[in-house]
Amino acid sequence: MLLAIDTSAGTSTAVFDGEKLLGFVEHDDPFGHAENIGNAIAEVMANAGITASEVTAVAIGRGPAPYTGLRVGMAAGASFAMALGIPLHSIMNLDAVALSHGQAKILVSSDAKRKELFVATYDQGKRVFGPAVLKPEELGKFGGFAQVEGKCNAELVGRYALWAQASGIDLSDSSALYLRSPDVAPSAGKRVTG
Amino acid sequence: MEFLQLGKEHLTTVMDLEQKLFPDDAWSSASMAAELDASHTYYLGIFDTELIGYAGLSTPDGSFSSDIQTIGIAADKRGQGLGRKLMQHLIEKAGQLGSEQLMLEVRADNQAAIALYLDLGFVQIDLRKRYYQPAGVDALIMRLAIRQPIVLGIESTCDETGVGIVQGNRLLANALHSSMDEHSKYGGVVPEVAARAHLEAIRPTLEKALAEAKLSMTDIDAIAVANGPGLAGALMVGIGAAKGLALAHNKPLYAVNHLVGHVGADVLERGAVELPTIALLVSGGHTSLLLVRQLLNDVELLGETIDDAAGEAFDKVARVLGLPYPGGPQIDKLAAVGTANIRFPRGLTLPKDMEKHRYDFSFSGLKTAVARHVEKAQDAGEEFSKADVAASFREAVVDVLLTKAINACKDFGVNRLLLGGGVVANARLREEAQKRCDANGIELRIPRFQLCTDNGAMIAALGSQLVMAGREPSGMGFGSESTLEVTQVQTP
Repeated sequence: MLLAIDTSAGTSTAVFDGEKLLGFVEHDDPFGHAENIGNAIAEVMANAGITASEVTAVAIGRGPAPYTGLRVGMAAGASFAMALGIPLHSIMNLDAVALSHGQAKILVSSDAKRKELFVATYDQGKRVFGPAVLKPEELGKFGGFAQVEGKCNAELVGRYALWAQASGIDLSDSSALYLRSPDVAPSAGKRVTG
Repeated sequence: MEFLQLGKEHLTTVMDLEQKLFPDDAWSSASMAAELDASHTYYLGIFDTELIGYAGLSTPDGSFSSDIQTIGIAADKRGQGLGRKLMQHLIEKAGQLGSEQLMLEVRADNQAAIALYLDLGFVQIDLRKRYYQPAGVDALIMRLAIRQPIVLGIESTCDETGVGIVQGNRLLANALHSSMDEHSKYGGVVPEVAARAHLEAIRPTLEKALAEAKLSMTDIDAIAVANGPGLAGALMVGIGAAKGLALAHNKPLYAVNHLVGHVGADVLERGAVELPTIALLVSGGHTSLLLVRQLLNDVELLGETIDDAAGEAFDKVARVLGLPYPGGPQIDKLAAVGTANIRFPRGLTLPKDMEKHRYDFSFSGLKTAVARHVEKAQDAGEEFSKADVAASFREAVVDVLLTKAINACKDFGVNRLLLGGGVVANARLREEAQKRCDANGIELRIPRFQLCTDNGAMIAALGSQLVMAGREPSGMGFGSESTLEVTQVQTP
């Protein structure tokens, strides 16, 4: 029984029994991740008719995505897995979206705030570029790639985890996929007198 | 029929019944008065228009054990289960006070009482021959084990990822991961850097705390998490982790106030926070003066900084003096070889400020004054002693902090001062606090340093107090509250 958690956009959760989706919950609020994460996990387990002790693995989205919200789902998934001593699978969100488009030649992008996009491109089911942060006008260079909205959710994260495990792909890196450094520069200190 | 806590005002009534119940060996009126009045005792009476029974509990400070001091029911009121009810109240009270066992002694010939105690779960652990004189009756020593809740607390309000585990009032683990080094190149805490560090550190810190306590998650009875005040992005990591943990094993979850946690830390030092107390919490993020009448119900913010926190002022002045971050230890070290011979301003201490901001602090002007002093000397190419500047600055901070804290003690007639927060590491602050408290007849409490800085154990301790008091857990819907008021000890 796989519990998938994703807070890359809203807050969503899913439960899979094998390939079968038993429950899916989504709170669309793009800011209330800390508020919604607990209820989203509790609700999806109730919808699926399972208890936490039946969960055998956890999958989380590790970005790229707006990080403040993303970290909430990652922290919840990591602690849930630790508490039960079960595996944690960490999924690159754009890969999860791309998988749902099969073999198509696509460019997957999602909002990176500050008028920028998180971008990756795929061909024949393989990532050929990215993930990277680009300005919208930079997408012109990817001629021939169909543009796909990259909004992810727990169902896509869960499906990717199941597929990746079957394909022998390593999902053990549970760090967030940061594509920007923290927005600060060391300050030299200012004079107070003129 | 009514159960009422007894105080010294009930002395005559209690002594009347005491002498009837124990004609051979009644306590003296003086002993009873001391018992009824003591801060570590709890006496409960049953009234049916008049007093018909009473019992007393003693829980010495810093002890994890309570004693039943006495129990008695008027002869014509026995056989109605009143003794059992009194005992049940005292057992519950002992549990709330954090006791892990309850002891009593009983006459070996008092079969009814022994049967009651056995039924309540007490076991005989000793026999004292001819303990009761002059009759020469043996005493059975009996013990009831009380299992206190094991609470895991998560702290992520600023740059420390803390996970603590307590059982009742007993500290089992206090694991910490600090991202302080990562902030040093920026000269202060950077929220995004802190939040990133929390996510990386949370799992290893949880595992470290469980290993330190030699427990697994299934042993944990409840989870507590600080949901504010603090940095939103940092808080959210701790909240996410706490909710995940709570749901994995269906444990109750308590969202608690970080600042009140600093006050609650003292239960881990001596089994209780002596109240009421004034609390001065000084760190890189806070400079707050609190009046705590009751830890869980009555905490009042008297004042706080209106600009920089005291710890922040240390960091900024350290930078002016060319010292690395964090500034506190650096300035403390340098100041030790300097003389406080420069009079820097004490913020918000002028008469007009003391009207409006009696318990508030301001350190921004002080920092600027130090910078001016240094720049002026440097521009003039004059030699100046960095050590003297450091000592004078430190003296100004310590003076204003303690002047206002001692004022609060005097104004509210509270003879206790509790210090908390990372700036308590400052040797001069501790030394001067002791001196001024001694001079004013104020008891100074400073928990050990690991419990003064941000830590998970204090969050667990406050959570544990809530569990022991029988509070309902928080719901699953709480979020981060950057500016959480100290009056909100628990977020529902």
